[in-house]
Amino acid sequence: MSKLIQIFSSRRTWAWPYVVFLVLFVVLPLIIVGVYALTDINGDFTLRNFAKFFSHSAAIQTFLYSVMIAVINTVICLLIGYPAAYIMAQAEFKTPAVMAMLFILPMWINFLLRTVATVELFNMCGLPLGEGALLFGLCYDYLPFMIYPIYNTLQKMDNSLVEAAQDLGASRWQSFWKVIVPLSMPGVYSGIVMVFMPTVSTFAIAELLTHNNIKLFGSLIQDYITTTDLLNYGAVLSLVLLIIIGLTSFFGDHGGSGEEKGGVV
Amino acid sequence: MRKVKDERTKMKDERLKVKGILILFFFTIFNFQFSICHAQSNVNYTVRVGETKENTVLAEFPESYEGKKVNISIEHSALSIQHSDSLDFVFADREIEALGTWGEQVFAYTDEGETEWTVWRSKKEPKNRNQAVKVKNGRDSFEQYLQETLGTRANRGWIWWIFAGVIGAAVLIKSILTIRKRSAEKLLSSVEQETLRRMRMGNRRHYISQAYLWILLLVLYAPIALIVIYSFTDSKILGNWTGFSLELYANLFTGHADAGLNSAILNTVIIALIAAVSSTILGTLAAIGIYNMRARHRKAISFLNSVPMINPDIITGISLFLLFVALGVSQGLATVCIAHVVFCTPYVVLSVLPRLSRMNPNTYEAALDLGATPFQALRKVMLPELWPGMLSGFILALTLSVDDFGVTFFTKGSGGLETLSTFIYSDARKGGLTPELRPLFTIILLVMLTALIVINVRSNKKAKKEQKQ
Repeated sequence: MSKLIQIFSSRRTWAWPYVVFLVLFVVLPLIIVGVYALTDINGDFTLRNFAKFFSHSAAIQTFLYSVMIAVINTVICLLIGYPAAYIMAQAEFKTPAVMAMLFILPMWINFLLRTVATVELFNMCGLPLGEGALLFGLCYDYLPFMIYPIYNTLQKMDNSLVEAAQDLGASRWQSFWKVIVPLSMPGVYSGIVMVFMPTVSTFAIAELLTHNNIKLFGSLIQDYITTTDLLNYGAVLSLVLLIIIGLTSFFGDHGGSGEEKGGVV
Repeated sequence: MRKVKDERTKMKDERLKVKGILILFFFTIFNFQFSICHAQSNVNYTVRVGETKENTVLAEFPESYEGKKVNISIEHSALSIQHSDSLDFVFADREIEALGTWGEQVFAYTDEGETEWTVWRSKKEPKNRNQAVKVKNGRDSFEQYLQETLGTRANRGWIWWIFAGVIGAAVLIKSILTIRKRSAEKLLSSVEQETLRRMRMGNRRHYISQAYLWILLLVLYAPIALIVIYSFTDSKILGNWTGFSLELYANLFTGHADAGLNSAILNTVIIALIAAVSSTILGTLAAIGIYNMRARHRKAISFLNSVPMINPDIITGISLFLLFVALGVSQGLATVCIAHVVFCTPYVVLSVLPRLSRMNPNTYEAALDLGATPFQALRKVMLPELWPGMLSGFILALTLSVDDFGVTFFTKGSGGLETLSTFIYSDARKGGLTPELRPLFTIILLVMLTALIVINVRSNKKAKKEQKQ
């Protein structure tokens, strides 16, 4: 008993349950995805699932299309979100906190419900549902993830640097490109990662926004994983997605300089 | 010289007037265009066949088709995927049965030529997936059908008129005000006019940036406004106003809403509470442990901790789904709770860690030296200090759990367990939304709004007090 107390009084051991939990429910599942990808239905080792992916042109096309949509959406979010964050972070603007709050508030409504409402809005205005609706919906759902990190870094930025640049003769435009933009890069990087990753893996939004006329990679994975016979192939597709996610988060880690990252919430 | 300047300002006034009128004019034209486009776009409804992979669409053919061979092809109009099936039918009956997937487009070909189909599933019976929908061919009858079933839904051109009216009126008022202001400024000296002009340039920049933000917010809130507005009518369909009514609110509170919705709400609350409580306990203990670890171990565990945060929903969901399949665990409430703890705990850890680094590390040891058991020391010394971090972690976990769809979708199993998110998803796939969802989310939005306003006002007051001190 006293030994037990001794073990528990060393606070390092308090993390053990969580470590076990992480290994069981985070590491092991990821390994199992790999195992499923490398086996067939009977559990025998095979590389056929991978071979199937490389000869499955529809899947590759969907994959490339999803990545393209995600890139376009990220660029749109950046183009719309950066000015918004910049304006909010300006000192002359009186109510930045309220504004930031207003941009976050829609996230409290279930995103599927918001998506359905967007579809209804498109129907009401007589706009067709298609690629345009898809991009609008994706941008609508993930814009706050772009605005918030950029706003955070811009707000923390030392304004005297901008003033110094202007004192040294830089024009408004020059001081923006040479001082403000480089200083806000950590926020931009984390914004890009936070928008790109969920967009490339999205699976329900596209289905609802286009009445299932446009299929994204996430929906494809969903289709295969939920079909018992094709589970192993679905695991391969998940691995492909996992690689993209890994690359993106690598980019995010190296783009943003460690501690200066802005984050949501 | 003075005269020339006066002349110039006069010209400017004229130009402003013309500008206002032109803008109004263009808005009118623009609108007109939109109403025309709108009328035409009614024909382009896609197929909404039903929930499951294979559903029946019943389509009624015109009499002239009788006895003819009709080739029906069903195809995905998606850009990348094109798997089309062609089915040949000779029919005596005027009704044809074809198999289709949700969201596919159906085309019919006969000897007489091609007919593009506007097969469409009635929103009136969204729940009944076996009931096929009869849609008449041809534009006139289709629109008629639409009018009969949905009332005035087909004609929504007036939305653009209201939109244009508001903007046009704003532009008109603004230009009238500027013209009046400027005519008063003419009495000032040229130097004063110059300074005013400079100020106006700055102001204009300010106005433009403010307008940008407000327009963005307007677009962001438009769908939400739709939900809020249509929560005050008892229509089954979002977008069909049938007069002011609080019936949906009454239904929600008296339990007369859809049984599926009620159990979904209950499940969501249960899962969120279980997940938030267990992840708060697990995460707090873990944070204390991690904080006291050696740097190398701390780094490794921090990396592991960040994995569930980086992983998108679908990956977390699928990997856990495969784990449960591999272990042969039947999926249900327990698996969903475990899955939610997986993606909630990292956030709790991250919100408790900063509190720990602010704490005096020796107080715990002092308590032990004074004879407290580890549990007592935790409760009396550490918890009071960590409380705020734990609370914010708890709230964050609660929100994440309530809002989650992707992970729940893959781990809920096939036992019919539904949370709010998955309920909305399957509802939307069937082609309709349970109307009581509208008041439910209106209430959630209002609660959140008040909470945020209260927090904001309080922190503002605090900041002011601190400034005074």
